[in-house]
Order: sequence, then C-alpha cells, then structure tokens
Amino acid sequence: MSAARATSTGRGQRVRSGGVVPWLGIAIPGPRFIAVWQRDRDVFLRLWKAEVLAPTIEPIVTLLGLGLGLGAYVELGGDRDYVEFLAPGMLMVFPMFGAMFEALFGSYFRMDQHGTYAAIQATPVRPEEIVLGDIAWAATRMALNTGLVLVMLLMLTPWLGFVKSPLVILTLPVSLLCGLLIAGVSIAFTSIARSISQLSYFFSIYVLPMFWLSGAFFPTDDLPRWADIASNLFPLYHAVVLSRALTEGDLSWGLLGNLGFLLAFLLPSLWLGIWAMRRRIIRG
Amino acid sequence: MTAIIRAEALTRRYGDFFAVAGLDFEVAEGEFFGLLGPNGAGKTSTIKMIACVQDVTDGLLEVGGLDVRTNDRAVKSLIGMVPQDDNLDEDLTVRRNLEVYARYFGVPRHLAKERIEEGLALMQLDEKADEPISALSGGMKRRLVIARALVNEPRLLILDEPTTGLDPQARHLVWRKLRLLRERGTTILLTTHYMDEAEQLCDRLIIMDNGKALSEGRPRDLIAEHAGREVLELHLPPEETARVVERLAPMLGESGRIEQVEDVVYAYGVDEAHYRTVEEMASDPYRVIFRRANLEDVFLTLTGRGLVE
Repeated sequence: MSAARATSTGRGQRVRSGGVVPWLGIAIPGPRFIAVWQRDRDVFLRLWKAEVLAPTIEPIVTLLGLGLGLGAYVELGGDRDYVEFLAPGMLMVFPMFGAMFEALFGSYFRMDQHGTYAAIQATPVRPEEIVLGDIAWAATRMALNTGLVLVMLLMLTPWLGFVKSPLVILTLPVSLLCGLLIAGVSIAFTSIARSISQLSYFFSIYVLPMFWLSGAFFPTDDLPRWADIASNLFPLYHAVVLSRALTEGDLSWGLLGNLGFLLAFLLPSLWLGIWAMRRRIIRG
Repeated sequence: MTAIIRAEALTRRYGDFFAVAGLDFEVAEGEFFGLLGPNGAGKTSTIKMIACVQDVTDGLLEVGGLDVRTNDRAVKSLIGMVPQDDNLDEDLTVRRNLEVYARYFGVPRHLAKERIEEGLALMQLDEKADEPISALSGGMKRRLVIARALVNEPRLLILDEPTTGLDPQARHLVWRKLRLLRERGTTILLTTHYMDEAEQLCDRLIIMDNGKALSEGRPRDLIAEHAGREVLELHLPPEETARVVERLAPMLGESGRIEQVEDVVYAYGVDEAHYRTVEEMASDPYRVIFRRANLEDVFLTLTGRGLVE
C-alpha cells in the first residue's frame, strides 16, 4: 500500500499518459503511423478495381460535358476555350472527394463499425499515429486520383490541348499537400459525428461551398467580395490556382502565396484532426 | 516467481462512477489468472488499463515492472490482447490480417512470416489462411483473434470473455488452445462471467463485483471456503419452498446457509442426510438437486446474486 501511495499522484495532477505534450493535448506521432497507412493501402489494393473507375471517369465526363456543352455558350477573354479553362481544376476538385470520403466515411467505419481503431489501440501504435496514418492515406488517395485524372488529360491533350507544361507533374505533390489539409479537417468532423448520416452535414456546410468556390468552374475574382474572400479560406482554392499555373506552365511569384497558405495550414489541420479524433478514440 | 502484473489500489473513475474501485492483485509469470464477475463488475476496465487503452485514474499499476502510465509503448509490446469483439479486418484475408497486425508491433518481416505460419497451425487455421474473414465460423474468428494476439510473442496474453457467444464445441476447442498456451509458458489473464470457464482454466482468480475484489484464491480453495462441498438446489413452487426451508433451516449446522435467487433456493453446508429429508418432502423429487459446489455458489454466497443475470 505504501508503494501505491508514493506513486499515486492524487487529484488535480494526473500523469498525462501516452506521451502527451500538455500544451498540444496530443503526443507527437512517430513513424508507426506508416503501419496504419500500409493497412489502409492493403485494403485498397484488394478492392482497387472498384475504387478507381469513378474517380477516373467522373472528372472527365464533367470536363467534357461542361466544357464542350456549356462551353459553347461561355466566352472567356482571349482565344481560350472553356474546356481548357476547366481542365486544371479537374486535377484537384474531384480528387478532393477521394480524400474527403476516406476521412469521413472510411474513418467512421474504422472507428465505429469495424473496430479497426480499437484493434490497433491494443498495439504499440498510439492513437495519434492511428489518426495520422488515416489522414496520410486519405491524402494519398487524393494524389492517386489526381494521377488518374492526369493520365486522362494527357491522353486527350493531342485533341484538346489541356496540358501545356511538364510542370504538371508537380500537381501530384500539391494534391497530396491539399489532401492532408482536407483530411485533417474532415476527420475532425468525423470524430464528432454520432451516426453515418450526420457526415452529410459536413458535406453541405464545408465540402459543397468549397467545391463551387474553388475557382475550377469560374474565376472567383469577379464574385461579390465576401465570396471571393471565402474562397481564399478553402485549401482547395489554392490547390486549383497552383494546378492551373503548373498545367499551363505560367508561373508567377504570387503562387508562393498559395503554396504558403497550404504549408501554413498543414500542421494546424493535422493537429486538429489528430487532437479531435484522439479524444473520440480514447473515450471509446 | 516475479510478478508480471502488480496492481495496488487501482482505480478507474468515469465522472462519479467508479468502474474499478481500489483493486489489489498480483499475477506471477507463467500463471493462468482469472477475473470472474458479472457484467459491469469492472473486469474490462481493469484489463483496458493493463493494456494501456484506458488511463489509470488512481493507484499503482505495473506490467513487467513498468508503470503503465509512463511506458505505454513498452507495456503494449509485452501484451497480446484478445478483445470481446472479433475486430478483425473483414476486407483482408486471414493471413493478411496477421501480417498487418505484426507491422503494428514492428515485427521484422521474416520473423513475422514464421510466427504467422506457426500461429495459424497452432490455432488450426492453416487451411483457411487465404480465405476472407467472412468464410470463418464464430469459433474460427475467435481462434484467429488469439493467433493475432500472439504475433508479437507476448509475455502476457489477455483475453476478455473469450468464449462468449460460442457454441459448446467451439468453446471447448478454445479452452484446449488456451491450456496448450499455458503449457508452453505463456502467462494468461482471462476475464469471464462463466464460472465453469474460470474453474476449468484458472490457477488462481479474483471474484469481482462493483469494481472491487470480493475474494481471491485458487478455484477449489475458494469453493471449499465459501460454499463448502455440496449444495442443495430447490426448484419448487413457492408454498412448498417455504415449508421445506422451514424444516431444513434448523437442521443446518453453523456453516449452513440458505440463499434465494429469483425462484431458486440454494442451501449450503449440507450433506446427504439433508438431501434425503428434502427429497422425501418434495412433491416432485426431480426438482431437488444435490450437487458439488462451484464458483457460481461462491459468488452467490458473497453477493446474494447470480453471476449471469
């Protein structure tokens, strides 16, 4: 009993277990998050045939439908066709859904339905690493989808002149970066959802506005001021600006601002997702 | 013998509710140790603290000589955990489930491969290795979860109600595998609300209720101490029960006791003479049972309630 009293900390000064850094509210995740990423990858590789069709076809159908259909009625400055204006956005906007769905529905199932998180919790992988692994996988999905769309754009380029610069390959890391931000915010929302159907709230209040204000379908500069400002607060907008510049090979110093936004919000977004989902996991 | 688990005044609180309210126990290396108690007794909370899945509210808890609060990773790598639910990866094959799990522990690939094949053979799942999880029966899933808990060669294997929901055959097979593991030297901590499971498997156990230990010891010693050798069970209509109890009570010695749970009356500290008397009085002798005492009776005498409600 004396030993217990000696190590017992009493009220008010509980030992923070699991390596938690007090001012962060989480432990700094280590490399074990990779094992969680690998698990998600393994599941994907088993099901990939069903997983790659939609993210390849949807953006191309939208691109051709809007670009050639609606595009006939759209006049842009210069001699550019609307379909060419649309193409760079397709590298980000539809792939974004990949990251979002993975971090919303995928993570919800792993957290609540299938006990995947609970199973990993009994191993040396910390909750922070479980969440980071899931976020990293969601971002990987986005980059992967960007790659699929890019292949399609390259195949269509001889006819429709979409890709004008080899820099377009850099849309892959941009997509990954943007995916990390989107997944961090999405998984934070997942952590407070009480049912699958509640995940659709997030879709309505965050994803759809971000989708339309991304600058992929129309320039946001001419929108009312509040809408223009709002668009700038979404990571997707900056990813689309970068994608447009890289696809067209039209670089400018201003792009550093867009890249800076994504980099500046990287750690806060990761922290938000990890902190929020960790709370849900350890309450389990 | 060294203690692999040492708990002193171990406490887990949720708001105002004490799931574990000051628990003291030690488990020695190589022992098969049980936590027996009804649902809500605090068994699962206790093992979740041991496995560093839930925080310790107060008290001391050491696993392998390490404080669980400051050594979560080291402690978890010593433990193999078999949870109540089969939280297997339904999207992966049997073997892939184990490979993925070995990665969480950072087991090197070639070593993992060896252990996985060994684990599959041990749990009689080698023929199912490349099947999806959906192709497994309930008992096979349970055995796979046990195989999964062995990929890190744990010093301590923890099983949370491992046979709940299994049919008798599957249950006996799981028991046989657990005995085999004990013979191979694995320390095992098991929670259960089945008294026969605890009695069959455990070297030593704690009987828990409301987050506290009611009694601790070897199963047979506990039975002898609290329930005696034999028990009389009366499954009679109420009026008849009253008459029988009225007759039986004065016959019992100092160690005798009568308990009623729902519609069944249990008499402890009885012998064959008592049985004869009651049997003669009963309108239907079939509804009077004279049997050996078991752990259920220990729980009953300690709490006045049954284990499984």
